[in-house]
Amino acid sequence: MSSPDLPLIVEISIRTLGVCFSALAVALLIGVPLGIWLGSRRFRGRRLVISVVNSGMGAPPVVVGLAVALLLWRNQPLGFLGLMYTVPGMMIAQTLIALPLVVGITLAAVGALGESWDLQVRTLGVPRAWRLALLVREIRLGLLAAVIAALGAILSEVGAVMMVGGNIAGETRVLTTAIMMYTQMGDLGTAMGLSAVLIGLMLLLSGLLTVVQQGER
Amino acid sequence: MDRAPVLRARDLRVERPSRSGGFELVVDSLDLFGGEAIAILGANGSGKTTLLMALAGLMDLRSGTSSSSQGSGQVTMVFQHALAFAGTVEHNLRVGLLGRGLDRSDEDARVESALEGLGIVHLRSRSAKRLSGGELRRLALARAMVLRPTVLLLDEPFDDLDPSGQELLSRDLLRLVKDTGIALALVTHDLRRAALVASRLAVLGGGRLLQVGKVVEVLSHPVDRDVAALVGMINILPGVIVRGEGRVAVEIEGGGRLQVATDLPQGSAVSVGFRPERLKLEPEQGALASSIGEAHVVGLTTDSILTRVTLEWMGRELFTHLLYGRGRQLAIGDRVALSIQSRDLHLMGIPKKVSPSI
Repeated sequence: MSSPDLPLIVEISIRTLGVCFSALAVALLIGVPLGIWLGSRRFRGRRLVISVVNSGMGAPPVVVGLAVALLLWRNQPLGFLGLMYTVPGMMIAQTLIALPLVVGITLAAVGALGESWDLQVRTLGVPRAWRLALLVREIRLGLLAAVIAALGAILSEVGAVMMVGGNIAGETRVLTTAIMMYTQMGDLGTAMGLSAVLIGLMLLLSGLLTVVQQGER
Repeated sequence: MDRAPVLRARDLRVERPSRSGGFELVVDSLDLFGGEAIAILGANGSGKTTLLMALAGLMDLRSGTSSSSQGSGQVTMVFQHALAFAGTVEHNLRVGLLGRGLDRSDEDARVESALEGLGIVHLRSRSAKRLSGGELRRLALARAMVLRPTVLLLDEPFDDLDPSGQELLSRDLLRLVKDTGIALALVTHDLRRAALVASRLAVLGGGRLLQVGKVVEVLSHPVDRDVAALVGMINILPGVIVRGEGRVAVEIEGGGRLQVATDLPQGSAVSVGFRPERLKLEPEQGALASSIGEAHVVGLTTDSILTRVTLEWMGRELFTHLLYGRGRQLAIGDRVALSIQSRDLHLMGIPKKVSPSI
C-alpha cells in the first residue's frame, strides 16, 4: 500500500469544498424562497409541484448527472456554454441535487407552523417584510436541517460529478471521484487517505450544524 | 345605545370554501362598542370564528363592510390556539411592534404595561415555547394589548384552562374592558363565562346572526327554539293559546296548561319555553297560584355545584336545577309538585298569521 500524497489530497479537498459550498449557496438562494412560497401559498397544481419536489429529493444523483450532461454536451441545447467537464458544470449538477432537498425541507418547515400562523401575525399588524423575516426566524431549525441534508448529499455524491466533471486531474477531480479512481488503480493508501478526509469533513460540517441547531432549541 | 360603535359591520357576506360544499356567513348588522364586552355564542360550525376573522379583516369579504371608527390596525384578534414565537415572552410582545417606527422608550412602556396588566412580568425572560396553556393565553392577550387596540377579538379564550384559570381570566377581561375602554368580542361555548364577562350576547346559527341583545334579554327571551337551546332554555313545549274566564294559557300538546300573559288570540300555535332554574319544586301540590301539577323524578345528575333533575310531567320531560345540597334529598321515582311563574314563561315560534279561532 502506497503512502497518501498529501498536497494532492489538500488540492482535491479544497476543490471539493469549493464546488459543494457554491452549489449549496445557489440551492439555498433559490430553494429557500421557493420552499417558503410553496409552503405558504395555495394554488391549483400545488400538490403536483410538491410531488415533483418530493420525487426530486430521492432522485438518483447519477440520473441528475446524466440529465445535466445531456444538456451540456457539445451539440446539445446548452453545449455552446462550454460547461461540460468544468467546475461550473459540476456545480450545476450538484445544485440540482441539493435544490429539491432545500425546497422540500423548507416547505415542510413552513407547513409545520400551521395554517393560522400567517393570520396570527397579520392580526398583530406586522408589515409584510417583517412577516417574512419573522417566518425565516421561526423556521431556522428547519433551514439548518435543509443545509445539513443538502451538504451531506452533495459532499458524498459521486455519479453526477463524475459524469459532468469527468474527474480531470487538477481541474475537476473531487474527493469522491478521486477515491473511486485510486481504488480502481489499486492505490488504496491514497484512496483511504481521501476517504478519511471526506468522512472527516462530513463529520465536522454536520457536527457544527447540529451543534448550532440543538443550541437553538 | 346612544354611543357610536367603534366597530361597525354591515351586510357581511363571507364564503369559506370546503370539501363538504363550503360555508357562508351572513351578518346584516353588528356593532361593537368601547368599554363593552359582547359574547358570541353558537354551536360548532355556526361561523363564530369566521365572524371574528371577518371583523378582524383577516377574510376576503364577498360583500359588505367591517370598519373600525379609529381606522385600520386598531382591531386585533387572539386565536383559540395562540402562537408562541421563538424567543422569550418579552420578544413575543415586541413582535407586534415590528416596523411601526416607535421610539424604544414607547415600545418599552407598552411592553411593561402589557406584562403588568396580564400578570406575567415574572415570565418576561422565559422561552415562550415552554409556557403552560394558561400562561400562553396570557402572553397572547398581552401581545395583543401591546398594540393598544380599540377592538379585541378573542376566540375561545377559556378553552383548555382549568377552572381557576378561567376565573382569573374572566376577572382580567372584565378589568381590561373597564380600565382600557376597549371593545371586546369573545367567542365561547361557555354560557356561564359569557354571561359573566359580557353585557351583550350575539347568537349565531348556521352562518346567520340569530339574535343580538343584552345578556338578560337573550337568556330570557330567545327569538326562537334554536337560540333557546343555545342559551340554556332547555324546557320547550309546543302548544296552543286558549282563553277563558279572563285567563290566558298555553294548552300543551299531550296535556297540561301553563298560565301566560299574551295578547295572542285563541288557537295561536306557540312554543313555550322556560329556563330550568325557573321551574320550582314545591313542598305540596296546588299550594301556589303558579302550581302546574305533579311530576316524577326520572333522572338526577350532580356536579360540585348543581343537581340537574329530569322530571316527567304530563308525559313530557322537563328539567330543573337545584343547588347541590337540596338535590341530594331527591331520589329517582319521587313525586314532586311543580310551579313556575307566568313571567318566566317565554312564547316562541309565533306564526305571523294566526287563525282567528279554532
